[in-house]
Amino acid sequence: MNKKEWYKLSYIIIIFLFFYFLPSKTVWFYPALISGLELLREYAREHILTCLIPAFFIAGAIVVLVKKEAVLKYLGKNVKPLISYSIASVSGAVLAICSCTILPLFAGIRKRGAGLGPAITFLFSGPAINIAAIFLTISVLGLNIGLARIISSIILAIIVGLTMNFIFKEKVEESNLFIEKSESKKISPKKIFLFFFSLLAILVVNGLAIDQGLKYWLTALLIIAITYISLFDFSKETNKNWLRETWGFSKMILPLLFIGVFIAGFISPLLPQEFITKVVGANTVSANLIASVFGAFMYFSTLTEVPILKEFIAKGMSSGPALALLLAGPSLSLPNMLVIRKVLGNKKTLVYILLVIFYSTLAGLIFGSII
Amino acid sequence: MNIKILGTGCPNCQKLKSNVELAVEEMELKDVKIEKVEDIDKIIGFGVMSTPALVINEEVKSAGRIVEVEEIKTWLK
Repeated sequence: MNKKEWYKLSYIIIIFLFFYFLPSKTVWFYPALISGLELLREYAREHILTCLIPAFFIAGAIVVLVKKEAVLKYLGKNVKPLISYSIASVSGAVLAICSCTILPLFAGIRKRGAGLGPAITFLFSGPAINIAAIFLTISVLGLNIGLARIISSIILAIIVGLTMNFIFKEKVEESNLFIEKSESKKISPKKIFLFFFSLLAILVVNGLAIDQGLKYWLTALLIIAITYISLFDFSKETNKNWLRETWGFSKMILPLLFIGVFIAGFISPLLPQEFITKVVGANTVSANLIASVFGAFMYFSTLTEVPILKEFIAKGMSSGPALALLLAGPSLSLPNMLVIRKVLGNKKTLVYILLVIFYSTLAGLIFGSII
Repeated sequence: MNIKILGTGCPNCQKLKSNVELAVEEMELKDVKIEKVEDIDKIIGFGVMSTPALVINEEVKSAGRIVEVEEIKTWLK
């Protein structure tokens, strides 16, 4: 038998074992299954269309329309730390939308650009600060924790970067970075602003607590405005690229998100409420520490941290530990860990993980005490 | 002629590679070596930090975008 046939055989064996040991005769199985399906339905109705799809269109437009070199310029050598750190902390929203773009950017900034500190800042804030993550958090978990997530991600990213830079003093290579000068696109900045404004407005309008009918009208108007600009002001090439990037994000993120949402719903009835209330129900040091360690070592694929956290909160998790988990979780996901280990080596990776856990715990404590 | 496509293996890099192959084919160029560079240290070695990037005869031509066939052709002349 060749390799392919062996793969087929192993899939069949896995499927067989799955059904052989399917715990369908237990009391908990069907309620959990139904809970998983119900949560999927809720997401399909309330979050996917109104929040994620517009966010994917925005992310696609950012890739196509925002000139990367304008941002990269500030992450190069001989830029004042104040500027490089602050640009690094927010540029994730523009530059790092998928993990395959993070790796070269991270390595480039570190070795030939602004250095280790800003590179770490960029790496940390990237997954937390993209449009889809921000609006899904607000849509599912509320404005309070959504804003707290954005603000503390930015602040923490800078602090973790500065600390890493302080501990490991690295030299940046002499040679320069290649930054391509794109020919000026013939779209006026005013039009681009209007375009992004309308896209963002769709997200905001759908998040507002206003009359449903009014929402539809406003959304329809905004869609007309966006279509108008894209048809009459953008080249055919730009529109094609825009749709391709948007589709790229959708197919990369949505399938995994559906699985994550299902898992969140499935485990929800199984989570022991007493245990969660006891361990992370109050805003204590131990509760925040446990939440950040859990977040750091648990793997969440892009955006799935949100539905899973929602179930924890429903079972009594306090808001401080919830934020700690949100901060430590996505920044230390599996792809990220692999990236930094490959580029930085074991020692620096370990220090980075410890710093993220420490500062996330601290941020959780502070947020929990002021809310 | 030596053409390198730098990228960590994402779909965009594949697309750039097929565009390059198409350009080479349409211009009926002989003696062209197309190579994919996936090692991150080597990619950084070219000073590139946004992929996919295109290197022709050791000179970086583009970074961070999928170049269209027509544009590639102008560099191959």
